[in-house]
Amino acid sequence: MRPHVSVLRLPRGPDPNGRGFDPNSPRFIALCPTTISASTETGTDSVQMREEQRARSVLRESFLRTLIAMTNKQVQFHMYERVKVEAKFGASDIDVLNFQVSELHTPIGVQKEALLRCQDVISYSFDL
Amino acid sequence: MAMRQTPLTCSGHTRPVVDLAFSGITPYGYFLISACKDGKPMLRQGDTGDWIGTFLGHKGAVWGATLNNEATKAATAAADFTAKVWDAVTGDEVLTLAHKHIVKSVNFTQDSSCLLTGGNDKIIRIYDLNKPEAEPQEITGHTSAIKKALWCNNDTQILSAADDKTVRLWDRNSTEVVKQLSFDMSVSSMEYIPDGEVLVITYGKTIAFYNALSLDMIKTVDAPASIHSASLHPDKDFFVAGGDDFKLYKFDYGTKEELESYKGHFGPVHCVRFSPDGELYASGSEDGTLRLWQTAVGKTYGLWKCVLPGELVENKLSFTTATWPR
Repeated sequence: MRPHVSVLRLPRGPDPNGRGFDPNSPRFIALCPTTISASTETGTDSVQMREEQRARSVLRESFLRTLIAMTNKQVQFHMYERVKVEAKFGASDIDVLNFQVSELHTPIGVQKEALLRCQDVISYSFDL
Repeated sequence: MAMRQTPLTCSGHTRPVVDLAFSGITPYGYFLISACKDGKPMLRQGDTGDWIGTFLGHKGAVWGATLNNEATKAATAAADFTAKVWDAVTGDEVLTLAHKHIVKSVNFTQDSSCLLTGGNDKIIRIYDLNKPEAEPQEITGHTSAIKKALWCNNDTQILSAADDKTVRLWDRNSTEVVKQLSFDMSVSSMEYIPDGEVLVITYGKTIAFYNALSLDMIKTVDAPASIHSASLHPDKDFFVAGGDDFKLYKFDYGTKEELESYKGHFGPVHCVRFSPDGELYASGSEDGTLRLWQTAVGKTYGLWKCVLPGELVENKLSFTTATWPR
């Protein structure tokens, strides 16, 4: 039987915990500034870009803190198709694609445990 | 001594892989995108098959996927009646283009400014990506679902293949048909090679080569089984094809001779494409995997390592993929 061609290793598969696109990869670091739609590449706008990045960081941090503050609280979700539901918020997944909730009050009954698809949520509110 | 091909299996998809596309060669290498019925198209490093990221957002099977030359943008066509444009560096969804039926095909112009879409509503659409809210230009004429729509002739013309058993060449500005090819059966795939203006079409067991400008037939080659997809090597010395019998076939383009056939997939092969440097070709299958195959078997490239005869005894890193008994 003829020998098989040798292989250094197998191709790396997907990371089960995230969607990838490693922000530390050389390509991401090199190309990312141009992917922020509001920024341009001229020198004078680098100040603007820094300002924008600062604003983005503040907003992102506030958002993440609201997720923490919401934990185990009653949250009202406004969703598409005029859907309003209320539930006890558990957690969000890493990419904010799904919210894990308990005791979801829906027009057709109370769901003990559920996942809400974040794309379907327009807004949500809760008392601090 | 001739060595046995070791295909590299890229796992991760959970349903059949129905389409795949390579980017051009970029300063960071070249990239590969795969369309899958699981609705989650993936981006991979082209020469190794290493997973880079998954584009999340579609709510149905993804039928078509493409990358722009620089691999900075991706586009996907799905059964959720949308085509989406993505930032291929961050993985973020940039644009959703609503359609009235399943979208099957997406293709960028060379400068990535326009996106061509085609699908089950039988209409070819051209979207200006600088003005995405504007209504797309529409090209009508096909009488059945469109399988593939591609820019050609320096993005001045469009080639489309549909279930109405025709392949049509359209002028982009007039939106009129310039020329048309009719077949006895549906075309299963189409590949356009800008360098040399060659069109590769597959139908039944046939792989046919046409001049993309005149639609004159260059030659046809018959394979042992029904073929779903074929790809011509950049140097136009080989072409590869795959289909119903799960095998990949390699042919000499000049002599039309079948050179090799490779087993490996556990299901029909739906798509096959050569990499932009011609060193490997990728195949996608009903079995949910992508496989990378060497053009020159035994050469050191990507994850493949050339082992000289004296080294064979010591080499403990020889991987073999599970294959049918030979």
